[in-house]
Amino acid sequence: MSGKVSLHRTQRAGSAREAALRRVLGVSAIALAAAYGAGLLFLLARGGSRLWSLTLYPTPLSGVDNEETMRFVVATCVFGIAAWTVVAVVEGILARLGRPVLPRRLVRGTIVAVALGGAALGRDHLPRFLIALPSETTAGGGVGPEIFNTIYFAVLSTAITLPVGVGAAVYLARFAKSQRFVGAVRMALDTLASLPSIVYGLFGFLVFVVQMKAGYSLFAGAFVLALLNLPLVVGIAEESMIAVPRELDEASLALGATPVQTAFRVTIPYAWPGILSALVLSVGRVFAESAPLIMTAGTTISRANAYSLDPFRGGETLAVHLWYVNSAGLAPDRADVSAGTAAVLVVLVGLTNLLASRFARFGGAEGTRTKKATR
Amino acid sequence: MSNGTLIAEAGGAGERLRLAGRPRLGEALIRGALIACGWFVLGTTIAMLGFLARTGIQGLSEVGFTTLFASDTWKPEAGSFGALALIVGTFASALGAVALGAAPAVLAAVWLTEFATEPVRRAYRRILEVASAVPSVVYGWLALVYLVPVFERLAHAIRGEDAPVTGEGLAAAAFLLAVMIAPTVLLLSLDALSRVPRPLRDASAALGASPWQTAFSVSVPYGWRGLLVATFFGFARAAGETMAVQMVIGGARRLPRDFFFSPTTTISAQIVMDMQEARPGTPENNVLYSMALVLLVVSVLVVLVTRMLARQQTR
Repeated sequence: MSGKVSLHRTQRAGSAREAALRRVLGVSAIALAAAYGAGLLFLLARGGSRLWSLTLYPTPLSGVDNEETMRFVVATCVFGIAAWTVVAVVEGILARLGRPVLPRRLVRGTIVAVALGGAALGRDHLPRFLIALPSETTAGGGVGPEIFNTIYFAVLSTAITLPVGVGAAVYLARFAKSQRFVGAVRMALDTLASLPSIVYGLFGFLVFVVQMKAGYSLFAGAFVLALLNLPLVVGIAEESMIAVPRELDEASLALGATPVQTAFRVTIPYAWPGILSALVLSVGRVFAESAPLIMTAGTTISRANAYSLDPFRGGETLAVHLWYVNSAGLAPDRADVSAGTAAVLVVLVGLTNLLASRFARFGGAEGTRTKKATR
Repeated sequence: MSNGTLIAEAGGAGERLRLAGRPRLGEALIRGALIACGWFVLGTTIAMLGFLARTGIQGLSEVGFTTLFASDTWKPEAGSFGALALIVGTFASALGAVALGAAPAVLAAVWLTEFATEPVRRAYRRILEVASAVPSVVYGWLALVYLVPVFERLAHAIRGEDAPVTGEGLAAAAFLLAVMIAPTVLLLSLDALSRVPRPLRDASAALGASPWQTAFSVSVPYGWRGLLVATFFGFARAAGETMAVQMVIGGARRLPRDFFFSPTTTISAQIVMDMQEARPGTPENNVLYSMALVLLVVSVLVVLVTRMLARQQTR
């Protein structure tokens, strides 16, 4: 879009009435976006105070399995994200000034060093809120296990969406013989995409909790979320594979590669940035979803295995926690807990959006694509 | 020697490429796995619809179709299944949300594509993308804490100080849903309007139309199907929204006493609440699947309508 010449300046200006209408429309549109922007900033500020007010003393927390490891991981993430933000801002300023960009390797090294060094030194001085266990009735509860579960859900459901979604997309884009089968799968995906998330929740409840009698489990929740995300991932992945120039595939075949080799060494690598941005977007939806998780993974955190990697235990995510605290929580500081949880969620969702748009932009860079595709 | 060929076939919309050739021994396995992925998508969709339809129809037959839609007393534990309140709540809040939220979103999209500069458009998009990705519980919590008190005062100002009205209810739910669906509708409208061919706009300008005339006499009429599809998606999202609505609707299992300002409920909110109590296999539980079936039928209808509109658009 940026390459287009704007015609507005050379056009007839229109009457005074039209100019006034345009101004009204413009002001209202800007006000709309400003309202959303202000709302997001408000969420960050309101919840940020919760993080800040409880951050200044060490966080001793014993008797919970894997708590030490978890604390180290959280610290690495916090410091890594902080370093990355600073570097991104600096790079932005340098680019604006026309200075040469910092060398990639130096930047990555710095970020990793800051993340690990910060974690080693500061892991006992993290915001308590990010580490502590939630508390049902007393003040001072945190969301440590909720953060862990949220991330773990993202990993589990991506482990299902990635192979199935990309596999289905490759098949649809390059292998399917029957036009009717392709049409049927597309129709199924459209239907899946339109279903309200509560319907997924009911399905998961029926299959995993009722039929298999497995109780609430992270696995059930992750499976349901994977289903929820399949339309998005298959749709974008297929689109980016269809956009792969046919000359590349032809060249690969002409060099003697088999169809499967061509698909996996040429088509998928070329389309990879698009697939990656779809996956990141789907992770964002995992962070945000609550209704199906309430019905498949439950609303509890057990103290003993708060940080357990067992996928067949139940557990709530940040979004579910936010709902639970407001509808059934008894803690006196639940307004602050909610604000903090909301702020963490907004940060996570904002980060995934940023990452997704970054990958989507890489998609336009011919260099990285052909380098990967011809390796 | 060539091991495969690329075949171009006429597909539904344009050309479709196909990698053909006899697979090697191990590769047949991989291709089988890929086919299995496609079947997995198809299979789970059918399984999902089948499971829900079976349980839902069972619930309908246990309770009786007419009692479900004739009465407004929803007390499954006491054996009275009047779902009128749920259905009215869902449709009223979703329609209200579209009425409040769709028009500003579409107009803002028109302004962005027709009159705004590129940097403004990009920044605008970024904000709205984050806003549309913000979890619905966050919207619900914000509304519960900050919106409901405002509506409480509003209700008393309109109906009188002593009137039995609350801030929770359809008005608050519709407003909240409007705020939630506006970013989605706006982003989809932007996509629809950006598909208006450039030559059309240039021709309009060459004929002496002002930008305003071009926008509302050329671009909007050309892209109206896309705008309609965006609005439909907004409606579907609003009708299916669960947790946010559950937090502000009040949770009274009957038709609202005061249409705008008194507690009632919606299908999805009631499913989440009752699911935790009803034992699986009982009529109380099965009837929840019947309710989900209503939601499902609505969303499948939306898909069919949008598919039809999209097909007309490509023609």
